[in-house]
Amino acid sequence: MIIYLYDGSFEGLLTAIYEAYYRSEKPEQIMAQQSYQPDLFSQPRVIATDSDKAGKVYDAIERKISHEALEHVFYVYLSELPGVGTLIYRYLQFGWRVGADINGHLSLEPVREVLRISQKVGVERHRMLGLLRFKKIQGELYYAPFEPDYNIVGLMAPHFARRLADQNWIIHDLKRGVAAFYNQERWLIRELAGTGQLNWEENEAFYQELWQNYFQRIAVEGRTNRKVQRQFMPARYWHHLIEKPTQ
Amino acid sequence: MDLAEKLNILSAAAKYDVSCSSSGSNRKNKPGGVGNASASGICHSWSQDGRCISLLKILQTNFCVYDCAYCVNRASNDLPRAAFTPEEVADLTINFYRRNYIEGLFLSSAVWPNPNQTMEALLRTVKLLRTQYRFNGYLHVKAIPGADWRLIAETGTLVDRMSVNIELPTSESLQLLAPQKKRENILQPMKLIGSQIVESQEERKQSRKAPAFVPAGQSTQLIVGATADTDLRILQLSESLYRRVHLKRVYYSAYVPVSTNPKLPTLASPPLNREHRLYQADWLLRFYGFEAKELLNEASPNFHLQLDPKSDWALRNLHLFPLEVNKVDYRFLLRVPGIGVKSAQRILTARRFHSLDFEDLQKLGVVMKRARYFLTCKGKYFGQIPYREETIKEKLLAKPTKVENYTQLALFSDVEDQQPVQDALTSITGEL
Repeated sequence: MIIYLYDGSFEGLLTAIYEAYYRSEKPEQIMAQQSYQPDLFSQPRVIATDSDKAGKVYDAIERKISHEALEHVFYVYLSELPGVGTLIYRYLQFGWRVGADINGHLSLEPVREVLRISQKVGVERHRMLGLLRFKKIQGELYYAPFEPDYNIVGLMAPHFARRLADQNWIIHDLKRGVAAFYNQERWLIRELAGTGQLNWEENEAFYQELWQNYFQRIAVEGRTNRKVQRQFMPARYWHHLIEKPTQ
Repeated sequence: MDLAEKLNILSAAAKYDVSCSSSGSNRKNKPGGVGNASASGICHSWSQDGRCISLLKILQTNFCVYDCAYCVNRASNDLPRAAFTPEEVADLTINFYRRNYIEGLFLSSAVWPNPNQTMEALLRTVKLLRTQYRFNGYLHVKAIPGADWRLIAETGTLVDRMSVNIELPTSESLQLLAPQKKRENILQPMKLIGSQIVESQEERKQSRKAPAFVPAGQSTQLIVGATADTDLRILQLSESLYRRVHLKRVYYSAYVPVSTNPKLPTLASPPLNREHRLYQADWLLRFYGFEAKELLNEASPNFHLQLDPKSDWALRNLHLFPLEVNKVDYRFLLRVPGIGVKSAQRILTARRFHSLDFEDLQKLGVVMKRARYFLTCKGKYFGQIPYREETIKEKLLAKPTKVENYTQLALFSDVEDQQPVQDALTSITGEL
């Protein structure tokens, strides 16, 4: 069984898709090198990332299939779920044949699966746009740690660059050790393992306490419904909230 | 009195307002400003009652000249009173906003000392936020009935949404519970705001630079279960508000007992199920092409509590069904119980490429538990029971909600069937 291994980057994945199209030796699976476990039957082929080849695939998806398909592929890649490399490969194989109509073929497994995973990533992005919490650090800087299921920090940064345009901020994905930095002009993504001791601005605790009180006061007692609360705001996200929902 | 205490008093006083939506406006940030609005709306938290927290919901003041029996802030109620200054509200809003706690501000007020001065205070706060603080996030402000139209109109040019709460659906209930208020005074600003919105939308079609007026639309709220008004009466009112005054949303609020006034009913718990049915029907009016008179009539003026309004309608109109899912057009597809707007659209897309089977429908997100009795796929009927109102109704009836929160599980019982989880969920979102 032939397996193409890419370096884990989006460019790497697109290069693997390029090679799968042109090489005679077709892969049965495409996966990130880090998640590969050698076994008796697999024949791994390491694909070197090539930004020219990746760029060609990128343009081809947009031109021959659709911009929407490109977005779905990127979102599915960001999910980092096992098997997404192969899934994207199958989805695109079909896409080259049918073109822009691809997402109407809901009876096909890869199409449905791509749409389902892409939607999950989109949902988490939307959810985190609301649940992210900034804390003010001394020196006019706002810092927001979070631990999302998927690698969405790059999908969130543009939203906050528009919205909180006149403040400096950092959105820190603690799980993956990456962060988006914004300096009132542009944002970029860099690795950031830890932060060390942070010194909060002196008003920070005051506003946090106001928000905690507000959160308690705004609920109507006769209508308590913890189940719905958890459905919308799963407990795994509570850790980084300022407010404290009770179990 | 310090800010923390004021916030405690004036947020607790505002919590009975249901609306918290932050959708419908795409106000952009400006250079040097803070904030923008997201057209889809964003929820920032969910409180212990399961409701979304999107906006900082507070009253400017809870001092009130009115003594409405159903209201927690009524003049005769003995509770702590407070008033914010415009600067305090702006400071709270900006600091919460910069930390991403909220999507914007929902500012309401009790009436003190008269409608004009109340509206002026609201306008001052809004102006301060928009000009001095350069805040471009979402603002929802109450229009105070009886205030000068010029004050309301100026506020409308600064905010994203305005609302006037009708609260009680008929003049008789108003007479009974809020004798100081006149129905005409409540409806008049709504009509003016409505026509101003339409006018400004027309102008903006001509010129992009024309000023926006309440771009996220107007909403209102009705209390359910504080008076004897029927569901039919409430739904007809909503229908006319949507059609004539171009309202964006009508919110329904199950009456939570806040008083022991003998004119008010004594309820063990708020009528949440009834509120849920009204929301379902409201969605049917706005997105499914139904009319109030199709759903209810004078002979049966209230919704069936164990059966959703669409299933109820379908059972009374069995002669229109079953429909062939591969042929029927969108308008009728929407009328099938178990099919929503999203799944109807998916069906349309999918059937362009191949004809659909029973199994396909499940994968497209159709709720087959209900839809199976009203559809055929390639001419085949999957209901598996006689096509009669009584037999289908028996299958569709939700089991009565259990009072105990435990159940004895039988070895082969269908757990999913026993708990209307979806109902609990949709009663909050209002989505079907």
